[in-house]
Amino acid sequence: MKKSIYLALCASTLVFAEAPAIKPAAKRTFSQSQFIPDISLVVDTAYAHRSEDQANLSALGIPGMVEDFFGQAGNTEDEHAHESYSSDDGFNVNYAELIFSANVDPSFRLDSVFHIGQDSFEIEEAYFTNTALVDGLRIRGGKLLSNFGRMNSQHQHIWDFNEVPLVYQGFVGNEKLNEIGLQFQYTLPLEEYVIVGAEISQGDNARAFGNESLTLSNGKEIEGARTPALLVSYLKTSFDIGDTTVMPGISFLRGESRSLDAHEGEHEIAFDGTSSLYNVELTIKHYFDSYSFLSWQSEWMRLEKTGTEYHVENGETESVIQKIEQEGYYSQLVYAHNQNLRVGLRYDNIYTNRYKFTEEAVPSEPYERYSAMAEYHFSEFSRLRLEYTHNSALYKEGVNGFEAINVNSVILSANLAIGAHAAHAF
Amino acid sequence: MKTLLIVAIVIPLTLMAKMNVAVSYPYIGALVEKIAQDKVKTTVLAKGNWDPHFVVPRPSLISKLRRSDALIMNGAQLEIGWLPPLIRRAANAKVNPNAQSFLNLSHQLQLIQKPQSVDRSLGDVHPDGNPHFHLDPNNILILAQSISEFLMRIDASNRQEYIKNMELFTKEWKTHLLRWEERMKAKHGVEVIQFHDNLAYFNAAYGLKSIGTIEPLPGIPPSSRHTLELIKLIKNEKPLCILHDVYHSSKTAQYLVDKTGIKLVIMPHDIGALNSIDSLVGLFDYLTKAIDND
Repeated sequence: MKKSIYLALCASTLVFAEAPAIKPAAKRTFSQSQFIPDISLVVDTAYAHRSEDQANLSALGIPGMVEDFFGQAGNTEDEHAHESYSSDDGFNVNYAELIFSANVDPSFRLDSVFHIGQDSFEIEEAYFTNTALVDGLRIRGGKLLSNFGRMNSQHQHIWDFNEVPLVYQGFVGNEKLNEIGLQFQYTLPLEEYVIVGAEISQGDNARAFGNESLTLSNGKEIEGARTPALLVSYLKTSFDIGDTTVMPGISFLRGESRSLDAHEGEHEIAFDGTSSLYNVELTIKHYFDSYSFLSWQSEWMRLEKTGTEYHVENGETESVIQKIEQEGYYSQLVYAHNQNLRVGLRYDNIYTNRYKFTEEAVPSEPYERYSAMAEYHFSEFSRLRLEYTHNSALYKEGVNGFEAINVNSVILSANLAIGAHAAHAF
Repeated sequence: MKTLLIVAIVIPLTLMAKMNVAVSYPYIGALVEKIAQDKVKTTVLAKGNWDPHFVVPRPSLISKLRRSDALIMNGAQLEIGWLPPLIRRAANAKVNPNAQSFLNLSHQLQLIQKPQSVDRSLGDVHPDGNPHFHLDPNNILILAQSISEFLMRIDASNRQEYIKNMELFTKEWKTHLLRWEERMKAKHGVEVIQFHDNLAYFNAAYGLKSIGTIEPLPGIPPSSRHTLELIKLIKNEKPLCILHDVYHSSKTAQYLVDKTGIKLVIMPHDIGALNSIDSLVGLFDYLTKAIDND
């Protein structure tokens, strides 16, 4: 009996000894797992409560800029515009952003950001970077966020507030300048940090630009812009005074604009012209220690659109020479107490909104928004934010003209990231 | 006349040819200066009183890297949160991690505390092991040796100088090592509490035993529950003192002092962490004396 148990034991150890040991990935023949690129996933989810109910919100916009502020459809041609964040009353999943990056070879690096919404998938960024050609020169090509201004190149998860400033929302839209093209950036070989940059791109941004040919309801054709249709240039610098860093910059953009505002049963407005956008930015950030800082950040922007505006009503086309001038700024103050706690205030103001308008008078400026936020960071990878916003830039367009509707919002949002360690933003 | 002309051209050329070596932390800068003396210009990116994990990536650092001929970093993911984007934005082939003129010091020695598995629920762990290896004074010699070899490789013209300076440094450092060894002998086996385990190598070198950290997990700020557990631990185990870095708030440590009467000792981690620490010898003089004093 004992012997048989002993034999059975021997046999079983033999059987198990035969089971192939799984080697660590590094030791497997032909294993490629060491070449997996850096991957991270960022998820942003929020609970929102607003002073107006959902039905009223969808009728609100900024006159002459944004048609549907909370839906952010903006322009009917613009199929892939991001929805405004946390736009539903109650729970929202704003996005899941999937980020891949790695070196391709000694010459190139590849970065991509996939923005996944509730029912949308978008290549937010997919670009190569070459830095090997000339010292100090960085060339990027593909789809990327323009380095225009301070906030344009930043992804939502590093913004200090839930929404982009009003000047961005009003002049270029929620997805900002996110274009397909080439970017050249040169860091000057100086003691001080000075960069110059130039970008050439398609100019698809439908809010301020757009390049497609348009066909009006009465059959009139407007020729599309020759692409690439958008040029961006910028000059930025930075210097330190002790533990304080000062970062001023100027940016300029010029592009072709083609846009069409169509309303069912109403008249159509089409625009054919050129747009110029100017930006002046200034950030001053003081560090008290490794974790605690006070940062003041402001950007001023001016949009000029000149061209021909076509009005179609009852099949008749009427054309007028249009000149639109819009100007505004935002200013924000953020204080990080330590690694956990952060509070901030932002003031948005669009103080010029001049355009020839045929029917109603443009509501008088300024269009303002006040935001206040408090954040708790559990670690570098997760944070909760409570934000209060008072928005008095919104109007409802009715038969009697524009009616101002103030919207107050309270948003509690959670932002979490897994995977590769993202670099700290400055 | 001809020779005069050559001298007139060559002298400014050699002056201009002085290499500009960027280093991530002050201790590396001090080692480069010891070995290169006036043969290279050293640019230190991080400030000594900052948390080495959270160096502020100021744009001015990009222009410093832009003009550097070489880069020496600590490695083992200590710089992961701030240096990679600066290197990329500098667009300078000489400071790229695959360049001959790039040195990762963590590859030169054996790291301790390499985690078996890596998961962020365990805090902000360093997958390659504990990166604060320069705080073992014995490691300084290994680091100096690899820096001198690195300098010889990228600047062969001053080879003899680097060899000579390395020999002098080794001799000088060894006498200090004996001194510190002597001073720390009595502290062998002493138990301590830390904020973050950044003195792991120092403790290992002198036989100090770290029995707890104020942060519940690496990179996770103190919690009240963990602090209460620490109070219990301190009362039971009676460790000698709390070794605290200069960059974290000492509020929780002060609370522990009030509750248990344990001593609080500030331990600088690098040159410049305290105003009085202006050299590597000064750093270890301070560290070995700090515990000696109580």
